[in-house]
Amino acid sequence: MIKLTNLTKIFRTELIETHALREVNLQVNEGEFAALTGPSGSGKSTLLNILGTLENFDAGDYQLDGKSVKGLSDAALSRLRNEKIGFIFQSFNLIKDFSIFDNIELPLRYRGLKAAQRKQRIEQALELVGLHARRDYLPGQLSGGQQQRVAIARAIAGTPRILLADEPTGNLDSLMARQVMELLEQINQQGCTILMVTHDPDQARRAGRHIQIIDGQLSDTMLYEPFAAQSA
Amino acid sequence: MEQFLYYIKVSLVSIKRAPLPYALTIFILSVGLGVFFANATFYYQLNSDPLPAKSNKLFFPMMLITPYDCNDCRPPRVLSYANVQKLANSDIPSAKAAMYSADGYARLSSSQPPTPVVIRITQRDFFAMFDVPLLHGSFWADDGGRFEILLSRAMALKLFGRTDVVGEQMLLDDKHFSVIGVLNHWQMLPRLYDANGRNHLSPTEDIFLPLETGYDLHYLSKTNSQTFDSTDYRKLSTEGRTGALHQLQYWVQLDTETQQQAYRQFMLNLANDEKAAGRHPAPINNQLTAMRDIVSYFGDESGDIQAFALVTLLFLLVCLFNASHLSLNRYLSNQYEFSLRRALGASRAQLQLQMLADVLLMALFTIVGALLTGYVGIKLMNHLLPGNSLFSSWDIPLLLSLLTITLVCSYLVTLYPSLRASFGTLNQQLKE
Ligand SMILES: Nc1ncnc2c1ncn2[C@@H]1O[C@H](COP(=O)(O)OP(=O)(O)OP(=O)(O)O)[C@@H](O)[C@H]1O
Ligand SMILES: [Mg+2]
Repeated sequence: MIKLTNLTKIFRTELIETHALREVNLQVNEGEFAALTGPSGSGKSTLLNILGTLENFDAGDYQLDGKSVKGLSDAALSRLRNEKIGFIFQSFNLIKDFSIFDNIELPLRYRGLKAAQRKQRIEQALELVGLHARRDYLPGQLSGGQQQRVAIARAIAGTPRILLADEPTGNLDSLMARQVMELLEQINQQGCTILMVTHDPDQARRAGRHIQIIDGQLSDTMLYEPFAAQSA
Repeated sequence: MEQFLYYIKVSLVSIKRAPLPYALTIFILSVGLGVFFANATFYYQLNSDPLPAKSNKLFFPMMLITPYDCNDCRPPRVLSYANVQKLANSDIPSAKAAMYSADGYARLSSSQPPTPVVIRITQRDFFAMFDVPLLHGSFWADDGGRFEILLSRAMALKLFGRTDVVGEQMLLDDKHFSVIGVLNHWQMLPRLYDANGRNHLSPTEDIFLPLETGYDLHYLSKTNSQTFDSTDYRKLSTEGRTGALHQLQYWVQLDTETQQQAYRQFMLNLANDEKAAGRHPAPINNQLTAMRDIVSYFGDESGDIQAFALVTLLFLLVCLFNASHLSLNRYLSNQYEFSLRRALGASRAQLQLQMLADVLLMALFTIVGALLTGYVGIKLMNHLLPGNSLFSSWDIPLLLSLLTITLVCSYLVTLYPSLRASFGTLNQQLKE
């Protein structure tokens, strides 16, 4: 469902040009769980942001579901992000003075869903991440692991087809990291494609596919059976 | 509607996040707009046309009939009794009235303490020309001298405690007069018929006295009187009709272009006759100024007023600049939230709707603050310049324009910062 051909990204500042991605070719199929690893500054976040259409690129092409994202309007890109893509960030990015419920509601608001539909989806998502009792808490009243689970609930409440996670366990201790990983695996098993940046070799091994980036190039792509297919 | 309330709620939450900078923004905007409002109120009232249907039909004729030679002199702004009689010697105007104002004391009987009053000494057509409303009684039957006066509504109430006092007797400077009429509420704003004495910002006169009686009783103008020869000033009032005393304002109503042309020609003929008689040594300089243009013709003060208006406008700009700077900081510190919303699928249009809710709230707070500041400012101006206190009222059109200005300013203060915040690169803010 994701197809990158010769994708190139160059950051230009007044002083230097950084080739963040060099002619990257990548194909990700529906239902895959892919781990993205590489040294710091190698371009992992850049790749994820381009996949999430938060960043544009300089050359090559990015096709999502067979359609190029090039030249789409702001409104079309927003709709695409809202309906097809879920984001999970290393620092959770919850709005501190919104309740858990209100945080999860954000993407559903932008989709224009009715109040009843929003409520139903939020409750389903909270059920899945096991935080139903905390719906009226503020993010600050939750532990890091719980906050990341709220962020995951927000990402999946809109039932996206792709989940993009940038070091989702980077700020968590190992126990909480494991809980989050298990949750992601569970979501993947329900058919959601996941691309996850990680520095943890164990996590990379647990993913169905392991993609390495070094200096903006996909140097090595080890292919396993997609996790979902494996367990089926 | 539900979505609108949600946007308002989100705005309130983001205000609560940093209430102090927000309050400061509102404060700065309120002060800038308040000072601007106070000045705009004054300016608006001052420049309003009190008689839009007639202000281009009423004219103030002036002639340079002075006994000395004078190149590029303006004609004097007041006329002598004799010159008014020459100017009045024409049937072209549909109405005409000479007038001046004087101070006096009124009371009902000599046992009472006297009340200081302002008297307009004028002729019968005055009331029709300036659309003066009558509550009780009638105007004078003709322009002859008579001991009959009209009272303003407020003066009738003050002296008698009621308005229907037609036929009552009273004392004006200890002469007996009978009241033949009481005016209804009347305040021409500005009182343009008095603009030549730069007295047009003050309230309506209290008592109206026939011109001939005014001269019989030797009243002198309280605003503007001139002589152009060496007449003994002690004889000015006693020889008011024949002497050199110039104190009269003279207004004529010329309804059509033809009438106006004819009257100009009449004035020119008059000036030539005067020249022939040796009473007009200076080059001919006749002026026939419409009421609409009278303030700018005599506009000695307008320079100050314009400078003050410019200063308040500059002050508003400085406040706007500061407020948008504060607002920009506020938005930039919230920028990660914009990026987050974009990542979650908000389009720029949806973010702009949020911004409109911000604008609405800011306008709401600002209008309250600005009206308060404006009100205090007007009170202060009235205190410092009591003569202008009539010009401090707000009417609906003025309030609506002030409201619009507040909305526009709130929009300007919010527009640039929120655009900056919503066009920022997305990936960066989400990292921290
Ligand atoms: N907005 C930007 N402007 C200029 N250069 C940038 C920008 N964003 C990223 N870069 C550069 O692009 C390269 C790739 O950055 P990227 O954030 O993708 O690395 P990363 O693999 O995610 O690193 P880390 O593991 O530290 O998160 C780096 O050299 C970085 O300095
Ligand atoms: Mg990164």
